[in-house]
Amino acid sequence: MADKAILYDATKCTACRGCQVACKQWNDLPGELTTNRGTYENPPDLSANTWLKMRFTEIGDTPENLRWLFARRACMHCTDAACVEVCPTKALYHHELGFVAYKRELCTGCGYCVEACPFDVPRSGGGGAGTVHGVRTMSKCILCEDRITNGEEPACVKTCPTGALTYGDRSDLLADGQARVASLKSTYPNAYLYGEKELNGLHVLYVLDDTPEVYGLPANPQIPVAATVWQDVLQPVGWGLAGLVALGLGLNYVIARRKIKINSEEE
Amino acid sequence: METVERKPKSTPILHYIFGAPPVPGEDVVERYSRPVRILHWVNAVAWIVLFITGLLFFVPQFSGAAVGGWSGLFHRIAAVVMVGWAALYFVTSPRSALSAVREAFKWGRDDIGWLQAAPSYYMLGGEDTMPPQDHMNTGQKLWWLTVLGAGALMILTGALMWFFKGIIPSGAFMWSAFFHDVGFIALLTFGLVHVYLSAFHPKMRGIFWSMWGGKVSAKYAESHHKKWYDKVTKE
Ligand code: SF4
Ligand code: SF4
Repeated sequence: MADKAILYDATKCTACRGCQVACKQWNDLPGELTTNRGTYENPPDLSANTWLKMRFTEIGDTPENLRWLFARRACMHCTDAACVEVCPTKALYHHELGFVAYKRELCTGCGYCVEACPFDVPRSGGGGAGTVHGVRTMSKCILCEDRITNGEEPACVKTCPTGALTYGDRSDLLADGQARVASLKSTYPNAYLYGEKELNGLHVLYVLDDTPEVYGLPANPQIPVAATVWQDVLQPVGWGLAGLVALGLGLNYVIARRKIKINSEEE
Repeated sequence: METVERKPKSTPILHYIFGAPPVPGEDVVERYSRPVRILHWVNAVAWIVLFITGLLFFVPQFSGAAVGGWSGLFHRIAAVVMVGWAALYFVTSPRSALSAVREAFKWGRDDIGWLQAAPSYYMLGGEDTMPPQDHMNTGQKLWWLTVLGAGALMILTGALMWFFKGIIPSGAFMWSAFFHDVGFIALLTFGLVHVYLSAFHPKMRGIFWSMWGGKVSAKYAESHHKKWYDKVTKE
């Protein structure tokens, strides 16, 4: 099936945060009590109950050159997803529609994904904590799996009043984004379509009028090296070694038993 | 030197699996003191719990058993028991603990000889080339070194992931997970060899019981640990 995606156009976003609210509403995520930090940006960070938030960035120090930038912050639904790579129980997986879904009932709360994600997205603490063992399962954006598999667009997209968020086939959105960036280039030479190539393609694309760093996005996100060598090298090596040793011991048993019997009979 | 007076209480089925312990009337020597034996079995049980609860993390098909977080809790309890008991032993018997640690690092010419003779010795039972061994033979020293080294690695990386999650940078966390896995593989593979050699290898039949009752037959001690045997019988 064709990969689905969200296209976020930062140049059309007014940071009304309707998407934040819609996300909470549809996914039944309770609000959080926060304190005034002197910014409209709220809550301060993603959490197990906040899967989507807008990031506010102020750049420049005089009224003339001041820029106030907004960027969506939620799971990027990476093609090369570090979280999927490290998840020991395969609770996290790629849905056939391309995004990164998870089965909460398989999550052990190990938190490897929390550490591995290059975008610092997953959070422990979903689904409550066990009373005795205190385990808190992982939570993150699921691209409204229940909506999109029923032909609806995600709640955030549905609610966006300015058209900054659109949803559709990733290939279509890629073309839209490229066209938009091309038209922005004359005024904003640094304009960039983020997510086209990053991690082999994100399923959330960003139209930016400046470099990713300016928007607080990593310029070159990577799966952590430790995660790759661990999962793709060490684990198969470990299985191979254990198998070889078991085989060797079995072989030794068969040979040694015969030989040693013969030896003792000779004595 | 002493002799076994009582009939051993273990059942014949266990003799079948692990070989028979020294028979009544046989000359025996003390090999492992009671605290050492208790330490060994506390460790062994904790190791098995750690191994199983850890393994659940690597086999997606088993992961159902890890769900809900109970396996993680048992993993931590077993870790605390294992480390705690070892620490307790160290505090209560610092001398024997230290000399045991030192034993792992005492290497000499006969250890080289052991390495050369081992394949034929353990495969074919050839005894002629095997140099006399001390209380620990070279293989045991290697296992003991693995336990000490990998054990330290497991404690360090485990503690980092348990207590410092979110405090240390995520890269340090991922490398901890990596090296916890390295230690796991080392202990698993060498642990298999250890279990096999001390319970099932045809030349070691019955030696299993020395970690149970503390005694080995004088005959075994002389043929497998000549240097040590000479030392204890001289006293
Ligand atoms: S952004 Fe993070 S949580 Fe989302 S798919 Fe990528 S690695 Fe996984
Ligand atoms: S916390 Fe859950 S989802 Fe994340 S890696 Fe561990 S088992 Fe997988």
